[in-house]
Amino acid sequence: MKYDVVIIGSGPAGSVTARFASEAGAKVLVVERRAEIGVPVLCGEGISRKIDEWDMLEGDRWIAGKMKGAKIFSPDKTCVTLDADMAGNETGYVVYRDIFDQELARRAMESGAKYMMNTQAIGLIKDKDKIVGVKLRHFDNEFDVKCDIVVGADGVESKVGKWAGFKTTLKPKDLETCCQYTFSNIDNLEEYCEFYLGKEIAPGGYIWVFPKGDGTANVGIGILASLSEAGLAKKLLDDFISNDERLKNAQPLRFLTGAVPVSNPIDSVQDNIILVGDSARQVDPITGGGLTHCLELGKIAGEVIGKAVKEKNFSKDFLMEYQKSWKETIGKKLKRNYMVKEIMLDMEDKTFNMLADSLKDVKFEEISTLGLIKAMVLRHPTLLMKLRPLMKISQETKESDK
Amino acid sequence: MAKPKAKVDSKKCLSCGGCISVCPQDAISMIGMKALVDEKKCISCAICIRTCPVGAISGEIQK
Repeated sequence: MKYDVVIIGSGPAGSVTARFASEAGAKVLVVERRAEIGVPVLCGEGISRKIDEWDMLEGDRWIAGKMKGAKIFSPDKTCVTLDADMAGNETGYVVYRDIFDQELARRAMESGAKYMMNTQAIGLIKDKDKIVGVKLRHFDNEFDVKCDIVVGADGVESKVGKWAGFKTTLKPKDLETCCQYTFSNIDNLEEYCEFYLGKEIAPGGYIWVFPKGDGTANVGIGILASLSEAGLAKKLLDDFISNDERLKNAQPLRFLTGAVPVSNPIDSVQDNIILVGDSARQVDPITGGGLTHCLELGKIAGEVIGKAVKEKNFSKDFLMEYQKSWKETIGKKLKRNYMVKEIMLDMEDKTFNMLADSLKDVKFEEISTLGLIKAMVLRHPTLLMKLRPLMKISQETKESDK
Repeated sequence: MAKPKAKVDSKKCLSCGGCISVCPQDAISMIGMKALVDEKKCISCAICIRTCPVGAISGEIQK
């Protein structure tokens, strides 16, 4: 069996890469170890409304709720509201990730990509040092598939990345460990994505409430693994739930765990192989959001792969166009937000309270972390000292956005 | 005395893969949608135990 490209993982990054590589003429195989695309869901399911402009998803079956904005609660529960009718919002839809993933896969299949389910990648095939294929296991059957390019779209744990020698092992301070209930019977739910901050509430992370319509919502927590103890994430989430009046009658539809990389961007290209999505750490280190990046960068990855197949050039140099392209754009934002994450980790709860208090009546022009930081610095110029390295990198990012 | 090695309770594991991504020894793999520790590679650092959001991993002394 021989394909131009074998993509490990049928999440959003894998399927979008598959679609655009197929559309560019590449013969693509997507390998998925699960029995159903998108299941089990491992995600908070929030995504920016930016995706409306991209023509990636048809219809609206994948949309569970449309948000009016976001509410951020400081440790003393002071609320900062960000409305979504402003440009550049970070929260827009809450989605059904299983349908969302299947819709992206359907588009890839329409473009000619082949999918293989219940099939786990168990190693790379190398000829001397050159990657020439993937070893797969389908139930008890082991076999080889040859290809010119392997795509590691295998998520946070990326075995493909490890096999190829990418630096994918995460330090505990660069991983958010998560769990989440989907509840029904929630009272007085507003159409806002809610975020709760505080060292006691969610050390190094936050608790979220993402409404999904008809009194249902995802209620989840992410905490930094370096601040975690065995089972702490679930315990803190259960504590939060038992103290929230709205959740008094809530009944669980689903419980899931998750793991989100919140590291600096890493190298994602070598000869005959690229990483995309969570495996390439294309996740915002502050919000833990990565869905839009998977879509934007999967498209770039697919297009570059298409060119590589046409030119029959699978070298690191040729594939580097993909890495350059993403590091110059989204990569810069991620680097900047990694610095913000580090600064926020050092901040006391009372600082968050003070900031929230001074921001609670602000009308934000844009819902973005940069907008928040600007507003903070205006009110608390002493923060500038801490944020100075950040301002430099923000400036660079802004210039490259032009 | 032998150090305790990480052991995953497969009834509790919900296959998020967090433990795999932080293991400094690449000692954990997802087999049949459950994390499984390779005892020979485990160095008893306990990072995975602390990382697990539902406490599905514990230390076990080898017999």
